[in-house]
Amino acid sequence: MIRSSGQPITTPVRPTPQARTQQFWTGLRKAGSDYLYILPALLVLLFVVGYPIGYTVALSFYDTPPSLPGKYWTGLTNYRTILSNPEFWHVTLNTLYWTIPSTVLAFILGVPAALALNRRLPLQGFLRGLLLIPWVISNVTTAYVWRWLYHSDFGLINGFLLQLGIIDRPLQFLDSIRLVMPSLIVVNVWKDFPFVMVMTLAGLQTVPRELLEAAAIDGANAWQRFWRITIPYLQNVLFVTFVLQLISNLNHFTIPWLMTGGGPARASQIWSIDIYTMAFQSLQFGMASAYSTLVFGIILLLAYFYVRALTTQEGVNR
Amino acid sequence: MTMQQLRRRRFSFPIDLLLSGLVLLVLGLFVLIPIAWMISTSLKSQYGAMQQPPQWIPSVITFENYQKLLDPRNEAGQRFLRYLRNSLVVSGATTVLGTAVAVPAAYAFSRFRFPGRRFLFITILVRNMFPAVVFLIPLFIVMRTVGLVDHQASLVITYMSFGLPLSIWLLKGFYDNIPADLEEAALVDGATRFQAFRQVIMPLSTPGIVAAAIYVFIQAWNEYVYALTFLNSDELLTLPVGLQRYFSEFVTDWPGLMASSFVMSIPVVVLFLVLQRFFVQALTEGALKS
Repeated sequence: MIRSSGQPITTPVRPTPQARTQQFWTGLRKAGSDYLYILPALLVLLFVVGYPIGYTVALSFYDTPPSLPGKYWTGLTNYRTILSNPEFWHVTLNTLYWTIPSTVLAFILGVPAALALNRRLPLQGFLRGLLLIPWVISNVTTAYVWRWLYHSDFGLINGFLLQLGIIDRPLQFLDSIRLVMPSLIVVNVWKDFPFVMVMTLAGLQTVPRELLEAAAIDGANAWQRFWRITIPYLQNVLFVTFVLQLISNLNHFTIPWLMTGGGPARASQIWSIDIYTMAFQSLQFGMASAYSTLVFGIILLLAYFYVRALTTQEGVNR
Repeated sequence: MTMQQLRRRRFSFPIDLLLSGLVLLVLGLFVLIPIAWMISTSLKSQYGAMQQPPQWIPSVITFENYQKLLDPRNEAGQRFLRYLRNSLVVSGATTVLGTAVAVPAAYAFSRFRFPGRRFLFITILVRNMFPAVVFLIPLFIVMRTVGLVDHQASLVITYMSFGLPLSIWLLKGFYDNIPADLEEAALVDGATRFQAFRQVIMPLSTPGIVAAAIYVFIQAWNEYVYALTFLNSDELLTLPVGLQRYFSEFVTDWPGLMASSFVMSIPVVVLFLVLQRFFVQALTEGALKS
């Protein structure tokens, strides 16, 4: 697992392919009963993950007209239709507009929160609990509460801004093409920054205290200690969290769906909403499968970086 | 000399402490205002909720919204209580089954060196990355084929697969930290491998198991998209979907909606706050030192 300069001078003799296959099978036989422990998990995942992925990819090559029973092979037609539709690119831009600011802002709030919580403060446990609440509350509750806060006639935010005289007539947070995305992003950040916070907090526990103390004795100031010691230790956790957040935002459905349904005028239409309406309202399962497969491919690319980061982390710690 | 002493000596005025306090104050307000507004609205009448400027403390406090939801004698109360019971059944079943599946799998990944172990572990982690909508269509078709559409079992199976990756990951980290000597001692004393696991290792990993179980429960309790797609009958709906149907039938009754959102949040928030120490500990030990 060691990748850097620790290469041994003599390369070990590689076993022949036959020997390796044989090794695999004897290993398999010897490990037989060990598999029983993971069998239930494997069955669940196969049924709920493996099979559906295969099925989606297969279905993406078929036309499934809602008016007729059955499905008809059409090759790559579904993909061509989607990719040549300007509406797809509009929705893709929306998805990026939703994903990138949401992710970045969750870090801008979550990392300082973790740093602040990492020192001995009065009420530390209480504050940590409080800041984690949005993370455990459901997306559904979050969407309803914020819809009510944004309400144009009776909402708290408009009421407050009017009272202070900052605006003279209520803002249409969710009904204006310009404001809808920023408004939704705020809600998403509210829901997600606690996750970034808790992951960073966990990462901070791995920073060795002795190292920080030694640096302080050697005259490094707080800023230098932070950038030279804390951040390098956090790097991996932050990266993994960043990729996880990107992926979950690229797939997000519930908050925009319940708050705007993709509107007004499709200004908040994102991938998942597009796929959902295509499948369950227009009943174009083949087309929606091709759409899913495209999104799936993009995420797979991100997943590759995620797994690589995880495995290097494992290598470093061993 | 500890860090605290050093810091105190260096700065006569604790700027960083002040900054930390400020960050926490601002974020605390950001988090708290929507929650407080939900509670405040739930204590208002329909008329009281429509006052401008908004009232933080309602001039007339009423509990009628809660009474309506929780009273089994009227139709509205019956429906809400039914959604609540459905949510408990689905989330409870998911938690029990999900944990039962995750615990042995995590143990195997931690202790055994079977071929394909690395590949399988990575596959399970990658499952984490494909949320909701990508799986929605094929799962719907699978469930339709096996006749589980409009059946709560379809949700239990799906939710189990959501919770598995993180539970296995968390628990594996826990088992990695438990020295193998413990089981070996039990094996020498004549226990089988499974007995050693069952009687020596499982009790030691209780914090991990509790944390994994809470995680699975919260996820199942809050899930919306699959419940929306798989269930049709009003008798079977869970709270997240039930609420939507319940309130879209009339003009939106904001105080009622806020009251039911609050009731729906209580179980997960209480469960989480009581056990958050476990959770953060498990996340630290499990996920990061693995």
